[in-house]
Amino acid sequence: MSVGVIGAGQLAFALARGFTAAGVLAAHKITASSPDTDLPTVSGLRKMGVNFTVSNKDTVKSSDVLFLAVKPPIIPFILEEVGPDIEARHIVVSCAAGVTISSIEKKLSTFCPTPKVIRCMTNTPVIVREGATVYATGTHADVEDGKLLEQLMASVGFCTEVEEDLIDAVTGLSGSGPAYAFTALDALADGGVKMGLPRRLAVRLGAQALLGAAKMLLESEQHPGQLKDNVCSPGGATIHALHFLESGGFRSLLINAVEASCIRTRELQHLADQEEISPAAIKKTLLDKVKLESPSLSVASASKVSLFTNKSKKN
Amino acid sequence: RAAMEASELWVGFVGAGRMAGGLVRGLLQAGKVPASNILASAPSDKNLDAWRELGCRTTHCNLEVVHRSTLVFLATKPHILPGVLEEIRPAVGPHHIVVSLVAGVTIQTLQRLLPPWTKVLRIMPNLPCVVQAGAMVFSRGSNAGDEEAALLKSLLSSCGLCEEVPESYIDIHTGLSGSGVAYVYLFAEALAEGAVKMGMPGALASRIAAQTLLGAAKMLLETGEHPAKLRGDVCTPGGTTIYALHQLEKGALRATVMDAVEAATNRACDMAKD
Repeated sequence: MSVGVIGAGQLAFALARGFTAAGVLAAHKITASSPDTDLPTVSGLRKMGVNFTVSNKDTVKSSDVLFLAVKPPIIPFILEEVGPDIEARHIVVSCAAGVTISSIEKKLSTFCPTPKVIRCMTNTPVIVREGATVYATGTHADVEDGKLLEQLMASVGFCTEVEEDLIDAVTGLSGSGPAYAFTALDALADGGVKMGLPRRLAVRLGAQALLGAAKMLLESEQHPGQLKDNVCSPGGATIHALHFLESGGFRSLLINAVEASCIRTRELQHLADQEEISPAAIKKTLLDKVKLESPSLSVASASKVSLFTNKSKKN
Repeated sequence: RAAMEASELWVGFVGAGRMAGGLVRGLLQAGKVPASNILASAPSDKNLDAWRELGCRTTHCNLEVVHRSTLVFLATKPHILPGVLEEIRPAVGPHHIVVSLVAGVTIQTLQRLLPPWTKVLRIMPNLPCVVQAGAMVFSRGSNAGDEEAALLKSLLSSCGLCEEVPESYIDIHTGLSGSGVAYVYLFAEALAEGAVKMGMPGALASRIAAQTLLGAAKMLLETGEHPAKLRGDVCTPGGTTIYALHQLEKGALRATVMDAVEAATNRACDMAKD
């Protein structure tokens, strides 16, 4: 089986690293492409032994399972570009936040009558084989196609099938989740440093504490509330610390974060569905390169009025 | 020993206020001690009428209570107690079991003001003892043994939860449950107010609020499950409960409640020092 990845950024790198480390795929069976060779991840992919090309079409031709690992606004352009090369055998796996199966199927159906589409939401810890992945199968994807993807993604972490309408919530929780954890870890390390620990040790210990806690929770039947209680001796250090967290509304901040990420994902989807994408949302050079490959794209469609605000475009 | 048989027990109350009244109702409810074996003293008849209606005997003389009882509950206000102890001290003997309900008065103080061999225990009840759904903790003094502790526990379990604890927990119990009852009233009031805002009549809202608290507490006590688990069980994904809980978390309710328990506990400690 060959795997292709459209996009050669963080996610492409993470997937390639994870699959090769898991031994489910040899590096030379993976092809990744991007018109932008300046991405820092490109050299990393090359070093791994992954086939790198600037041609998305080549990636499609040489793969059975095709991951779309580009930012959501780019997806429509990619689909236009590689649509003609998609065959019945291909399993198209979109990892783009907020991009619906129906929007992908609609775009591809002009080229291929029954495109196999699976929508997937994973996260960057696939790179260390501790990813969290969910997927939903499209109209023409069989059970075996889903199982194939599941096997692939299970080699790099947890993977389960879900209803498509839950995927935005998953984005908010485990898609963005690692960023919340990194923020927490940075702050915990600061706390350690404030109280006298050297930075490196503080980071190491903070990370291990979260890793250990997560592992305990996953391996335990107990509720996290119970596990928390088990750490809090009466009148001890931990309960004093927890009181501070509660005073700061720690729990509500996390709830807010998951909610905000999920809502933003839906917003992005809504915008993408309307295909109201500004050139500012896509690097001009990137857009030019994409357009070169697909003469069917008109300049007019690429310069529609932006509904994006100046918020970050990262998903 | 004969005195340990509850039905033979002569129980006295020095002070006959609300707290004492709650305990005696529990005792009688449990049927462990006949009303005629109970004697209460108070300066005026104001409180004593209710006791007589229960079938208890009453007096205005504290010494009489001590003379005629084996188990003596001290239930006066804190500032009155030292004077009362001085008064009854001569009548206190080795057969007596003295149980103080008086807030903020330590075992050390009690033992100092009573004869050195006196069996002393200290108890902190809470208001719902009057409806036999109280929460009480007690500690023993130096001369109180397993028998006395067991007797107290067996007599008072009819009033609610009754547990022996180290004395240092008593102030915490005040913050948690003594005062805690007021936090619950506040919460109940706020719940009802929310319902009224949404259009429900106040009286109905109040009754439902109270029943909700009662039911939730009952489930907690009977299932023995962790409250976080029970909370999770109520929260359907994307449903009403999780939306509401998010509001509570935004308001840092948990921390505020922790603050309250801490403040009351600290205040109890401070008052005990006075």
